[in-house]
Amino acid sequence: MVNPLSLARPRPDPASSLWWITDTVGAIVAAVGLAWVIAGATAGHITGFAPFVLLAGGIIRALAQSQAHHSGITAAIRAQTRWQAILLPALLPTRLMRGKLVGEDMHLAIEAPVATRGYVARYLPLRLASGVSPLLVMLAAWPASHVAAAIMLATLAPFILGMVLAGTAAARRAQAQHQALTRLSGLFIDRLRALPTILAFGAEERMTRHLGISARDAAQRTLSVLAVAFASGAILEFFAALSVALVAVYCGFSLLGLLPFPAPERLDLGRAFFVLALAPEFYLGLRRLAAAYHEKQTGEAALAAMDEALGILPPPLPAIAPPRQWTGCGVVLTHREGARIGPLDWDWRGPGLHVVTGPTGSGKSSLLLALIGQVAVSEGQILADDGTFLPGSANPSIGWAGQAVALLPGTLRDNLAMGKADDGAMLAILNRMGLDAMLAARGGLDMVIDHRGSGLSGGERRRIGLARAILSGRSILLLDEPTADLDPATAETIRNLLAEIAQSRMVIAATHDADLIAQAATQCPIDREIAR
Amino acid sequence: MSGLLDAPLAGQKRALRWGMVCAGGAALAAIGLLGVAGWFLVGAGVAGLAGPLAVAGFNYLLPSAAIRAAAITRTAGRYGERMLGHRAALFALAELRAQLFARVAQGALNGRDPGRSGAMAARFGRDVDLLEDAAIRRVARVGGWTGGLAGLAMVGLLGWGAAMVMALGMAAMRLVSHWLAARLPALQAQVAQAHAAAQADYADMAGPAADIAVYDLAPQLAAALESSDMARAEHALARAEAVITASQTILASVIVALIAWSAQGGAPMLALGLLAAMAALEIWAGLAAHDARARQVRQAEARLQAMESAQTPHPPALTSNPALHIAGRDFAPGARILLSGPSGIGKTRLLETLAGLREDAPQVLRVDGIDPRTLGLAGLRGTFAVMTQDAPLIAGSLADNLALARPGIDRAAMERALWVACAQDIVPLDQWLGGDGARLSGGQRRRVALARVLLAGRPWLLLDEPSEGLDRETEALLCQRLKQWLDQTGTGLVLVSHRPAMAQLAAETVNSAFRPDAANRQ
Repeated sequence: MVNPLSLARPRPDPASSLWWITDTVGAIVAAVGLAWVIAGATAGHITGFAPFVLLAGGIIRALAQSQAHHSGITAAIRAQTRWQAILLPALLPTRLMRGKLVGEDMHLAIEAPVATRGYVARYLPLRLASGVSPLLVMLAAWPASHVAAAIMLATLAPFILGMVLAGTAAARRAQAQHQALTRLSGLFIDRLRALPTILAFGAEERMTRHLGISARDAAQRTLSVLAVAFASGAILEFFAALSVALVAVYCGFSLLGLLPFPAPERLDLGRAFFVLALAPEFYLGLRRLAAAYHEKQTGEAALAAMDEALGILPPPLPAIAPPRQWTGCGVVLTHREGARIGPLDWDWRGPGLHVVTGPTGSGKSSLLLALIGQVAVSEGQILADDGTFLPGSANPSIGWAGQAVALLPGTLRDNLAMGKADDGAMLAILNRMGLDAMLAARGGLDMVIDHRGSGLSGGERRRIGLARAILSGRSILLLDEPTADLDPATAETIRNLLAEIAQSRMVIAATHDADLIAQAATQCPIDREIAR
Repeated sequence: MSGLLDAPLAGQKRALRWGMVCAGGAALAAIGLLGVAGWFLVGAGVAGLAGPLAVAGFNYLLPSAAIRAAAITRTAGRYGERMLGHRAALFALAELRAQLFARVAQGALNGRDPGRSGAMAARFGRDVDLLEDAAIRRVARVGGWTGGLAGLAMVGLLGWGAAMVMALGMAAMRLVSHWLAARLPALQAQVAQAHAAAQADYADMAGPAADIAVYDLAPQLAAALESSDMARAEHALARAEAVITASQTILASVIVALIAWSAQGGAPMLALGLLAAMAALEIWAGLAAHDARARQVRQAEARLQAMESAQTPHPPALTSNPALHIAGRDFAPGARILLSGPSGIGKTRLLETLAGLREDAPQVLRVDGIDPRTLGLAGLRGTFAVMTQDAPLIAGSLADNLALARPGIDRAAMERALWVACAQDIVPLDQWLGGDGARLSGGQRRRVALARVLLAGRPWLLLDEPSEGLDRETEALLCQRLKQWLDQTGTGLVLVSHRPAMAQLAAETVNSAFRPDAANRQ
């Protein structure tokens, strides 16, 4: 089955290609003008009209080049917007599943689409045009001199062979370079994020040295990719120059009547000059293509990276009704890095409070994450109302409060109203959680929150997350350490609140709070011994 | 031109110089190839028409050899120009990236907020890339000027009129390009701003992936990230750039047509002049690309320069084992102090102000008799090893994280510290932890961070909820080992913990509630 989320291969923008071909037509017109001027000069007077033809060719080229550039960029922006519309919703909820850093994902979602700019805007239209332009030049040269046209064609074959060989080697290295750059970008973001810690230990100089080594390593890799790209460019340059030289020498000797073989055609100066002026144009399209070769490598590597990320996404699941009974038999969880947790067994029947307990680091959070499909289940079976449960399929019925809280830009009300709770209900819950003083000081439910949750302390964010889960009205609550980081009085209030909610909903909490565990209907222990 | 680039490029002088030689050589060869070919062709044609005697007198060996030589020189020159130019730029910029990090670090140490990490990533990515491009263009620009001047010289062979046309035309091309490029910076700034904002927003939003998955927040967050401003700005920019390209091509063909009109001298010279002019003007037009980028580079450079830190203040030196004064009470070196009070009273604020991480605690604080708010992190970091609640780890191995504490820690010391922090069996020392210890649970992260502060060897240990996320059994063990460690090393302790077991570590308690009257009495 084709992954529904794979990115469509970008196609060359036809308008831009057509303008590049028009540029070649302009070059032919200019060559006619030039040959006319020279032929006139040889005959003693330049016809008044000839320089105008030269000028007309130039104007056609100017128009064609600028239009080619503009329509190329337009196509690239279109493609970029289309890809981001697929990438963002796919990447944001699945980062944990894929085991990626925020910096890596940011590179993929923001940088990678931009990195395809030159590929779509320039390389692809030029590639299409470069199949037509040399042919056009050769056809124009043919009536003037068969031999010159044949020389152009003859130099093309070895050139294409060289390009193919260099291109294959380059593609392999470009992939490695893209990875190196992504890692370097992730490393800088990571060190900037950890800057306060680094400074507190006085480790900034050591860090700078280390980053310098990584950056030089990335530069070395980039250079090795470029070496191949430039080599293929040099092959092209050589044949382009060779073609001009051969046409010039052939035409010169033919005009002198000194050819070492019987003359296959009679040349006059006008024709000879016309084909000489065309000779550089024969390779111009391909030279432009080679100049955009780096953009091709960057673009294709970025596309491959985006495709790879989308390729490992699981298909979307059909949502199921909230399970009334949720059981696990011999469930083993596997982290992407290879740590195993389990086997675990549980039998949760809602409504009621159920706890997942165990020493620190045993994998309590991982079990909750596995239920919402963020950590893989490698063995055993999870059942929902006696049917096989696909992790993630009950997400629309789950109210979640984890250790980190994602906030939407907007007001506090917007963030809490996802369950369509009214103001009264919101205020009641927030007050009970001891957030009334903070609310009063900052404008109540109209308090403006940005996506960074700036101005809120860690504890406040977590309590807002808990309030959101409760107010969502969803029939299952998955809570990770709901009473941690709180003073005993507030923790007691939260426990009471959870006990009330457990009357009507299934509440599952990962905790090591003994008082909360005492309230629970069932306990799913995760032992240190099995968490290996 | 570029102050930031000068120092790193100085280390790449050789590559830079030879790259410029190659660029100039390639430009000369390109013009020579076409010019000589045109002259040879017309000369041959004229001689062919004049009869066998003229043919016998026509020296064809020299020009045809020159054409072949020019073809090879152009190829080699272009390759050398690109390769050496990129080598110089890439390595200089790798150097610059590390230097910039050092500056940001220095700035943050002097109390400047380094800003959002996404925005900083944009500086380190896009802005530095722009400077890289500028460095490569330094080499290419030499080719442009060499080509232009060589073309002017060859057109000069056609007489004063033609030379004037060429010179004025070339000046006009530069002026028009400059004038049109003046519109670009505003557009480029808009594009850069939109891009940086997108990066920063993404970095801020993408963290809590579980929340995003469960509440299906992705469409709303994606909508918040989508920006039509960026597409609009980019369209306008593309149009403005296209106009510059078109202006250069039109002017070049006007110049060539005018030279054809105004030229004096024989047909062979005219052919040489016209073809040389065409080749030279194509190279000359390439300079317009520098104008288009020049201001963008200056903007990027200004943004990067703004990261430069002010003069490093020299904080007064503290004694090697200073006494503390916290909210009205004095503590000798080696004291063990608990900051108490209910959630939200400001215990963390107090601890972090003491450590120099922030300045907003209202209490009277003294380190060695000096207010820590005047000392700053730079002055205090030799005194305190602080473990904050979020316990951030760096992407790297466990050993990398521990080595952060101070230079020259051996593996035995690391293992010992991990044992004290009850973290000896979390993962092997060389295990890669992922970004911010992604492999570890919250409690594991805290214990690694605890082991790290133990290794720092500072006279005072500042711990914020060190046992949070630990089960009772481990907590008791940690408490016992930590006590033993404190006894052995004589290190002082300032502790924030609401867990009774941990609180036993402290011999004295300071109430963190701020009482203005107490402060007034001071």
